[in-house]
Amino acid sequence: MSAAQPVIQPKMPKSWYKSNKPHLFCPGCGHGMVLKALGEAIDELGIQSKAVFGCDIGCSLLAWNFLDVDSTQTHHGRTTPVMVGIKRSRPELITIAYMGDGGGYAIGSQHTVNAAIRNEKITVILVNNTNYGMTGGQMAPTTLPGQITETTPFGRDPEETGYPTRGPEMVAAIASEGAYVARGTVANFRQLKGFIKKALENQIAGRGFSFVEALSVCPTNWRTNARDTWAFLEDKMTQYFPVGEFKVPQVKEE
Amino acid sequence: MSTSAEGVLSVEVPRGAFHLFTNLCKGCGLCKEKCPKDCLIWSECLGSFGTPAVIPDDPQNCIACGICQQVCPDCAILIERKRVK
Repeated sequence: MSAAQPVIQPKMPKSWYKSNKPHLFCPGCGHGMVLKALGEAIDELGIQSKAVFGCDIGCSLLAWNFLDVDSTQTHHGRTTPVMVGIKRSRPELITIAYMGDGGGYAIGSQHTVNAAIRNEKITVILVNNTNYGMTGGQMAPTTLPGQITETTPFGRDPEETGYPTRGPEMVAAIASEGAYVARGTVANFRQLKGFIKKALENQIAGRGFSFVEALSVCPTNWRTNARDTWAFLEDKMTQYFPVGEFKVPQVKEE
Repeated sequence: MSTSAEGVLSVEVPRGAFHLFTNLCKGCGLCKEKCPKDCLIWSECLGSFGTPAVIPDDPQNCIACGICQQVCPDCAILIERKRVK
């Protein structure tokens, strides 16, 4: 190959940590798409040098060296309070708490609720794949009625185990003015990136709690091929979990 | 189709070029299902997990829309667009 011909490079976001790619997630995992949206949002806002990324236990911890930003990894469900602590001691930093539905709605739900009520100025990105992926696909708070998982082999029965958690609706109901709450899906990448960007801008402006749930896919534990993976996400999940913005801060006109 | 030393599959298509980085492709097939022209097939080359990598079946079918690049969780696909006059 002649020197004049440039070597083609993959188009990764600038804030991705390139030397650990291909990343640790399974083939077809939605985390890659959510983190691509987050990486592009960080690039466009130019906050790579002052962002702090915190990941939870579960599949989301495999993102601990995914981004080329300051990263930390916390106990299960405790990403929100750790990020709140960092934000309170260094308010100039942009803190991003990254967790799965198990960390945010099950063991860490008290932190999600309390941080939302106190209107802490952090950004929470919660990836909802309707099961506990890392431990083999057990039932999570977000498992859909009738969905088969390791611990619900005959489908989730709402009479016995209740109904799935609708997180953004809950956060939007308890958060005060200035909070930003939205739900995106990896099937609509541009919209999801816009939601994450608005959530980060809300934190930069110091208005309040920013919460984005991203509907994601888990082909490994759903035991689906690519076609059924998209079908489950686009047809079944979005029916129960409507996509959109639930709370947008009122911006004062000057 | 041409394969470079770095394991990049490159296909010239009418509106640009399709590049696939075999060291990044995990063979999940999400791009195959999202392709609006349904033109991606499994190639003879293997990806990072020993699964087949994707390639357009006929370069004439690919419209270089970039949806496969957008949905790829691993950034294994790069679409270069040419300006068409």
